[in-house]
Amino acid sequence: MTATTMRVGQRANLFADRNFKWLVIAPSIIVLLVVGIYPLVYTGIVSFQQITMMEEDTSWAGFMNYAALFSDGRLWESFGHTFLILAIALPIELVLGLLMAQLFLEKLPGKQVFIALLIIPTVISPIVAGSTWRLMFDNQYGPVNQIIGWFAGEPTAILWITRPEWVYPAILICEVWQWTPFMFLILLAALSNVDRSLIEAAEIDGASFWKIFFRITLPVIRPVMVIAILIRALDLFRIFDIIWAMTKGGPGSITETISIYTYIRAFKEFETSYAGAIAFLVIILLSVIVIFALKRVEIAR
Amino acid sequence: MAGLRLRGVHKFYGKVHAVRGIDLEIPDQGFTVLVGPSGCGKSTLLRMIAGLEVVDEGTVEVDGAVVNDMRPKDRDVAMVFQNYALYPHMSVFENIAFGLRMRKVPNAETRERVHRAAEMLGIPELLERMPRQLSGGQRQHVAMGRALVRDAKMYLFDEPLSNLDAQLRDEMRTEIKRLHQELRTTMIYVTHDQVEAMTLADRIVLLRDGVIEQEGDPLELYERPTNRFVAGFLGSPAMNFVPARIEAENGGLGVRLPDQTVLALPEGRRSAYADQVGKTILIGMRPEHMHRDREGEQRDGFGRISVTVEIVEPMGANTLINFHLGETSILARLDAYAAEQPGQKLDLLVDMNRAVLIDPESQRVI
Amino acid sequence: MSDAAIHRKPLFGRTRRRMTARFAVAVLILIIFLFPVYWLFITSLKSAAEIFARPPVWYPAEFNLRTFAVLFKDGDVWAIYNSLIIASVSTVVAMVLGTAAAYSLARFKTGGQNLAIWIISQRMIPPIVIVFPVFLMFVWFGWIDSYVGLILLYIAFNLPYVIWMMRGYIEDIPIEVEESALTDGCSRWQALRKIVFPMARTGIFATAVFTFIFAWNEFVFAMILTRTEVLTFPVLVTHYYGAQSTFWAKIAALSVLGTLPVFFAVATLQRFLVRGISMGAVKG
Repeated sequence: MTATTMRVGQRANLFADRNFKWLVIAPSIIVLLVVGIYPLVYTGIVSFQQITMMEEDTSWAGFMNYAALFSDGRLWESFGHTFLILAIALPIELVLGLLMAQLFLEKLPGKQVFIALLIIPTVISPIVAGSTWRLMFDNQYGPVNQIIGWFAGEPTAILWITRPEWVYPAILICEVWQWTPFMFLILLAALSNVDRSLIEAAEIDGASFWKIFFRITLPVIRPVMVIAILIRALDLFRIFDIIWAMTKGGPGSITETISIYTYIRAFKEFETSYAGAIAFLVIILLSVIVIFALKRVEIAR
Repeated sequence: MAGLRLRGVHKFYGKVHAVRGIDLEIPDQGFTVLVGPSGCGKSTLLRMIAGLEVVDEGTVEVDGAVVNDMRPKDRDVAMVFQNYALYPHMSVFENIAFGLRMRKVPNAETRERVHRAAEMLGIPELLERMPRQLSGGQRQHVAMGRALVRDAKMYLFDEPLSNLDAQLRDEMRTEIKRLHQELRTTMIYVTHDQVEAMTLADRIVLLRDGVIEQEGDPLELYERPTNRFVAGFLGSPAMNFVPARIEAENGGLGVRLPDQTVLALPEGRRSAYADQVGKTILIGMRPEHMHRDREGEQRDGFGRISVTVEIVEPMGANTLINFHLGETSILARLDAYAAEQPGQKLDLLVDMNRAVLIDPESQRVI
Repeated sequence: MSDAAIHRKPLFGRTRRRMTARFAVAVLILIIFLFPVYWLFITSLKSAAEIFARPPVWYPAEFNLRTFAVLFKDGDVWAIYNSLIIASVSTVVAMVLGTAAAYSLARFKTGGQNLAIWIISQRMIPPIVIVFPVFLMFVWFGWIDSYVGLILLYIAFNLPYVIWMMRGYIEDIPIEVEESALTDGCSRWQALRKIVFPMARTGIFATAVFTFIFAWNEFVFAMILTRTEVLTFPVLVTHYYGAQSTFWAKIAALSVLGTLPVFFAVATLQRFLVRGISMGAVKG
């Protein structure tokens, strides 16, 4: 009833409303700039200098560090190791996850309990996961060799962690164990969201199970699957914890990934500028993938 | 009580010019309906009145004071939303009481007013429920109750019935009309449904593409549309438009239809078109303004057309028949008592006093 | 419909026998996936002799809490306490900042699609890439091996996730509800407090739990930016790997202590698990 008595300061209020959106997002942006952009800029600058543990030589080195990257065999091996793990683990996780999701898609007694328990590996610390499997793979006191021994009919003593030919299977088993439930849970949700009437219509048309799966189910869940793959691919690209817990990159440098190698150059050998160059290379590689990936995620929303 | 006035109101969404210079006076205690096809700016206009959208240009005035910069909470308006916007974490009672609590109304009075509003809407037994336990119609009642409990200056309705099924919609329409007659407060109602607009409004404001096409009381818009859009928008089934030509005929004036029939203009209307002879026009005829010609008599102000029935749709109270005049498909609404058959020849009388003639260039009624 | 059901011959069918078979396969899978966790738990409860027994002991003669006692006596549980402080405080702050930012993105599309994408892309950067400059920054500020340093870093590290998830949860709340509150007489802040936050509370809770877990499990930053005072539990676990000997009992016991909170957290999350781990891509 008091419209004529417009209060002083209401214009100020509306002004606040109009700027409100920037006001509330500002703190987050500032934090992200400090922790997100500053290190990138710093890394970029450092990578053109010659800082090592011995001397803080900030003189301009041009592309010296970047040129050195190309002749650094250990770097390219670490890239190779990373992509090897990615290329083997990701498809296995995807297929296993999909099969498990199919298994749990329909009614099953205690389904929710199963799902709750199956997700456990994914949420525990990767350091704990790596440690657990190191326990499991211990050549003398671990159960893995014992179980293989039962099937082989004779005691086995495979040196999982220390033999070059066995260390990758060990790492991959741990990785697949920890992250297959992730794929499983996401794909199960995606499959459950597939409109039943689509499948029923195809059944009435006489399509077989596999036809329905490849022609209808898979295309429908594809967007979600792509996102799950992207999330996992980005995780695998920077894989560090599991391997650190299991092998620290060893034996030798045979399980060094990009992250582990960068860490060693920066914090064990204190070759700051060189590590900076590696980091920058990684960022360039990643930003291409990340931007592509995020557009997908954003579109899928 | 409040009189509302909009002057030169504009709204832009990025490059989209959603509301283009609306001047409008909304009378105190009246029931004003903003109606138009989707995207015509009617909801935006309502939201600017509520203070939910910034007015980019122009002014919104209440009782002569500009309220452009006033926040919604200070405008003393109550609003019912299309999706009801009930607070899902509050009981029905708390939903209805929320506006009073925000205005620090004493508890006892709040309780009394909530119960009164609930009685009014016939939902006292729902007060303890949560919104998720309600049916669509019940939610709608709660949304209404939430507005009605307030002693607001203005009540705003943003398509409040469009999520209801047909029967419930008819019931609620009557209900809203009754409430307005009891409360006699300013109500502004947005809808895309011309039936709702016709039945509820004291005053209709018909919008298209962000401008007002015509405003006035419902029958005025219905009987005397100023342009083809208004003529076609109001009325169900919609008005038929047939290309035709004005001709001199037996000393009078007539309209020649595509099938060469000439419909004579009644005496009172002739002078208006005397200088338009030979002009190509559209003639607009409402379905309900065509009747069976039973006796073959010549009635003054009616013109006869002979048609071949194509489709018959009995509606119970009346019957829709479909036929062609030239290229144009026409619908007529006839009394129900004689069953026509497809293929049957039929003579119809067209009420030429109520037919509208439209200039196809300007789309305006001439 | 029922005709279709009769003709249907899915991979894992519907008949009773098939159901039993599926159940058996499910149990087998569960055993495979949980066996390592079981092994970790019983290792933490074994006596020294049982840990180094050959063949390995699958079930300890008695539940031996000796290792846990040692962890408490030596003060190693301090790492759990550190993790708790760091994860809790950083979660609370990240939730406050992130929810505010998410509200802005959800309701006003602040900065358009690009700002949202930039924010979440911050999450994708490998920690190892930014940790060195952060390390130097922390050396200047004297934040190495301090609560404040790690807490600030975790706030920043988890902020993109919080913003991204909360944006989705807020977008799920119809804007009309908020507008209705505004016309009912709320200020914007009152509408947030009385309507938006209560409606988003489950999303807020789920996001907070995930944020907590991420901080709780984080390793790379913690390893590089701590020394002795504020070691978090994953870092301390790796300290038990000696050059000569590995302290299996302690590794297992501390891992168990560090895993229990996560179990409880996940148990509370059932409905939001998928949405949380898929970064909102699947609403579950």
